[in-house]
Amino acid sequence: MSTPSLTLAPAPPSEAAEQVRAEVRRFLAEELAAGSFTTHVDTWLSGVDPAFSRKLGERGWLGMTWPSRYGGHERTAMERYAVTEELLAAGAPVAAHWIADRQSGPNLLRYGTEAQKATILPRIAAGECYIVIGMSEPDSGSDLASIRTRAARNGDGDWVVNGAKIWTSNAHASHYAITLVRTSPADPSNRHAGLSQLLIDLSTPGITVNPIRILDGGHHFNEVVFTDVVVPADMLLGTEGDGWHQVTAELAFERSGPERFLSTYPLLAEFARRVADSGDPAGVAVLGRLSARLLALRQLSLRIAAALDRGELPNLAAALVKDVGTTFEADVIDEIRRVVEVPASLDSPDPLGRALAEAQLHAPGYTLRGGTNEILRGIVARGLGLR
Amino acid sequence: MSDQDLVVETVRDILAAHEPFVLTPSRPWDGALWTALAEAGLTGVGLPEEAGGSGGELADAVAVVATLAAGAAAVPVAEQLLVAGPALVTAGLDLPDPAEPLSFAIADGVTAEPSDDGDGPGAFVLQGVSADVAWSGVARRVAVLVQGPPRIGGSVLVLVDAARVAAAPGTNLAGEPTGSLDLDGVSAPGALLTEAQAAVLRARFALARAVQISAALQQVLAWTVQYAGEREQFGRPLGRFQAIQMELAEMAGEVTAVAAIVDAAVQALGRGDDVVLAAAAAKVRAGAAVEVVARLAHQVHGAIGFTQEHKLHHLTRRLWSWRDEAGSELHWSRVLGAGLLAAGPDALWPTLTRVV
Ligand SMILES: Cc1cc2nc3c(=O)[nH]c(=O)nc-3n(C[C@H](O)[C@H](O)[C@H](O)COP(=O)(O)OP(=O)(O)OC[C@H]3O[C@@H](n4cnc5c(N)ncnc54)[C@H](O)[C@@H]3O)c2cc1C
Repeated sequence: MSTPSLTLAPAPPSEAAEQVRAEVRRFLAEELAAGSFTTHVDTWLSGVDPAFSRKLGERGWLGMTWPSRYGGHERTAMERYAVTEELLAAGAPVAAHWIADRQSGPNLLRYGTEAQKATILPRIAAGECYIVIGMSEPDSGSDLASIRTRAARNGDGDWVVNGAKIWTSNAHASHYAITLVRTSPADPSNRHAGLSQLLIDLSTPGITVNPIRILDGGHHFNEVVFTDVVVPADMLLGTEGDGWHQVTAELAFERSGPERFLSTYPLLAEFARRVADSGDPAGVAVLGRLSARLLALRQLSLRIAAALDRGELPNLAAALVKDVGTTFEADVIDEIRRVVEVPASLDSPDPLGRALAEAQLHAPGYTLRGGTNEILRGIVARGLGLR
Repeated sequence: MSDQDLVVETVRDILAAHEPFVLTPSRPWDGALWTALAEAGLTGVGLPEEAGGSGGELADAVAVVATLAAGAAAVPVAEQLLVAGPALVTAGLDLPDPAEPLSFAIADGVTAEPSDDGDGPGAFVLQGVSADVAWSGVARRVAVLVQGPPRIGGSVLVLVDAARVAAAPGTNLAGEPTGSLDLDGVSAPGALLTEAQAAVLRARFALARAVQISAALQQVLAWTVQYAGEREQFGRPLGRFQAIQMELAEMAGEVTAVAAIVDAAVQALGRGDDVVLAAAAAKVRAGAAVEVVARLAHQVHGAIGFTQEHKLHHLTRRLWSWRDEAGSELHWSRVLGAGLLAAGPDALWPTLTRVV
């Protein structure tokens, strides 16, 4: 048995990326100064602000790597990386467009029909069209192949969808759901067969979106129920029966970005301000320790972005970033708590107390969303040749 | 095949004839391995030919050090190729013959007084004891970073002839020599360094240890994955058990994160960037990974890994030692934390994105 090399080629420094980084920084400083947003923890889940998303679209910071004929900007993954990183570090409200820009767009680019691409991608790039992931179901989380939402063809060849999706982030404020459905009966000998992806307009009759509140009372999640929902035949995404393959490829995109270790960065930044004021040596050391972990993750994630630019698919490393990164996101809270005496409270007058509260109440989600860490470690174990 | 691949292959060929052994006071290093490496010119890799080295890039020297670290080689090659050698060359001091083992030590308690004009390289008289000297008793010469004369400040890099200095023995957890040198009244050639130059030298030492740690972590993971594939319990290989898979995947995450930051810091050093914070991050991150990887590697290996017969301890004991050497995690965490705050608390993010 051989162990795959775990050293990724370095990411070459990119002047273009540094330039766009500086532009985003300037923009964010101006927006903060103008009060158009305030910094929060985990804003790529909770910071829904369509006006802000449209501003990013106007500046060319969405759909950055896509072809220009679909409203994209034909820039590199490294440039896109710099933009997403700056937005997350500032705790900017990016949740409205996040999934569409990160994953649905690339998914459509790869599998969509010409008509799907031409109508939807430019709107995503403009920050005006939001798409959600309709994968999980009440009885299917980690075991995604067991989904039961089904789609059957009617007399016109259109699809009729019945079933329910759950934990659907931002479904109440989005336009489409890329929905994983069963299009042939379950085959016990091939659990991954018979699944397809449908691009479902969320305003279609028969869809109900029921809010589910998370620990801090926020409404980000939903249950989405489909009752005899008619989806036009041309809204199949990719190939009928190929849904499993498409979903797995999509998840690889989803796992390695800076959002997998920067969700609690605004808390770390607030902590740094506190340590700078107090000079507490224990705090300085904790800041150093956490920063060393962050810097290592950043290197890894940058190297994956560079590998994607080269057309490689570093799936093992991507799973690793998400496992190590999301563990780090939660550890930030614990390590800081040990060296400051600040009660965590959402209505604390102290910004550190507020950031601690936001980070803590969101913490259970970090290691669950996008595939749990246990499932990711299973992927890594396969990569190591153990399964 | 790149230059580094060639270097690695040569080192591996030499290593193949030298099994790691348990270090004892009577056999504190692998002198035969050292001789073989020296004969192949590998103890001067990355050091300029004009100074008597074998030439080559920093990356070549790193490749030699990493390969030997993964092989648990008991030789002072990291000190010679990555720390003392380059430091002496930069300071304008004479590089000893690379065939003779050279080590490095930081002795904040030792002071140096110039015994001549004290301007540029010259002779210094030392006062104090240098503790924790890697390869003490083995290295023929030791480059020691000491305190400068009080009225001048700064630091002084001196080159001590260890054969003429009294040494007290000591070892780290792996049995590698880490005794002390009594430098009271010893006279040695040396050169003044600014605080910034001294800081970079300390960082180089930390980064050298991080390079060794990273290489050893990768090897420990490979051994453990291999073992899990071979050892059977309950009728199947350990690696088929999900609990073991989780442990190996966790190890892989740590190892990969360390490899990325250590490599990035090495690249930065190669470019000539200010590498203090990058080296600090690499050393701290590597040390943190040792906790997880060594613990889980022993767990997966079961009792056999707890024995002197099994090879695992050659690396895990070194890992437990190396993370404390060249500045502990606490030391470098403070350096990194303070460095990140230096530009003001609101500049944390811009500073972070400039570290590597
Ligand atoms: C913030 C957030 C946002 C989300 N957004 C979306 C979204 O937009 N769209 C969407 O479709 N889903 C979304 N999800 C759902 C998410 O993908 C699931 O929560 C996840 O896949 C886990 O499924 P589950 O919650 O049903 O847990 P389960 O699958 O029931 O797992 C429970 C526990 O058992 C462990 N476990 C399960 N199977 C195994 C196994 N084989 N081996 C070892 N351990 C195992 C899991 O790791 C976990 O610890 C979101 C979740 C969160 C927290």
